[in-house]
Amino acid sequence: MSRQQLARRIIHWLLTVAVIVYLLTGFGITQYRIVEPLTFGLLTKNLAHRIHINLEIPFIILVVLHIWLLPLLRRFKLKH
Amino acid sequence: MLAVLCLVFVGTLPLWVGTGWCDTGGLAAVEVREYEGVDLSSISAFRENSIRGPQEIDVGSYRLRTTGLVASSTSYTYDEVLNRYQHYKKVVTLDCVEGWSVTILWDGVLVRDLLAEAGPLENAKVVIFHAYDGYTTSLPIDYIMDNDILIAYKMNDVVLPPERGFPFQLVAESKWGYKWIKWITEIELSADAGYRGYWESRGYSNSADLDEGFFGD
Repeated sequence: MSRQQLARRIIHWLLTVAVIVYLLTGFGITQYRIVEPLTFGLLTKNLAHRIHINLEIPFIILVVLHIWLLPLLRRFKLKH
Repeated sequence: MLAVLCLVFVGTLPLWVGTGWCDTGGLAAVEVREYEGVDLSSISAFRENSIRGPQEIDVGSYRLRTTGLVASSTSYTYDEVLNRYQHYKKVVTLDCVEGWSVTILWDGVLVRDLLAEAGPLENAKVVIFHAYDGYTTSLPIDYIMDNDILIAYKMNDVVLPPERGFPFQLVAESKWGYKWIKWITEIELSADAGYRGYWESRGYSNSADLDEGFFGD
């Protein structure tokens, strides 16, 4: 597996995890009466709120990387 | 494959947990949506996010009690509260920590008037509100006395429906939504300045000022 493929794969998996966590914590805020017992009390509304807010910037970075990583790597490769 | 399954699971959550939007039936047709040039939100624009779901309170057996550090505890029926005190109208916006907000015309009586009748003792620092579902929240007594804070019995000229807090909801203006306690049954005066209510004891700000964040302190 080339470095380019590895980087893409890592970004894809991180983005997948971020999307899932982002959605789950979103429900953890608005549907806390369901999500809290479903997660055995681990994902409280307050914790979901904190994770959700702190995930915004990493999520945007991952989306940008997901979209632009390949074209950027290609351009970088052509120049060098 | 695992990722796809996780996404499907999370994506379909709303289908089996319900949407959380309150159902106010035909009320939207009779409520006012504009007051003195201010556009009002609909009652149905609220999201149902109470700790135990909407509470049905029997108005016949309902009592609003004032307890704690008062000269004499009081207990009023719903009608007594409405007939005994002057009524006020206010347009106030409720801002929820979940990110939504609603601007509503509130009709109510001043908490200050209720407390004046009971006679707060000098060492009372905090007003603790108790709800029918066990929810509690607190506010400094100075905030209550200085800011014309209402307990509302109507919103947009409609008597509060059960899912919106009948018989009374606190209109805690300039505070985050978790201070706007619904289904109020008791107003307790306390000297415990560190008292934390339901959400405050779970990590949300005790001051809950809108111009500050809602975590911590």
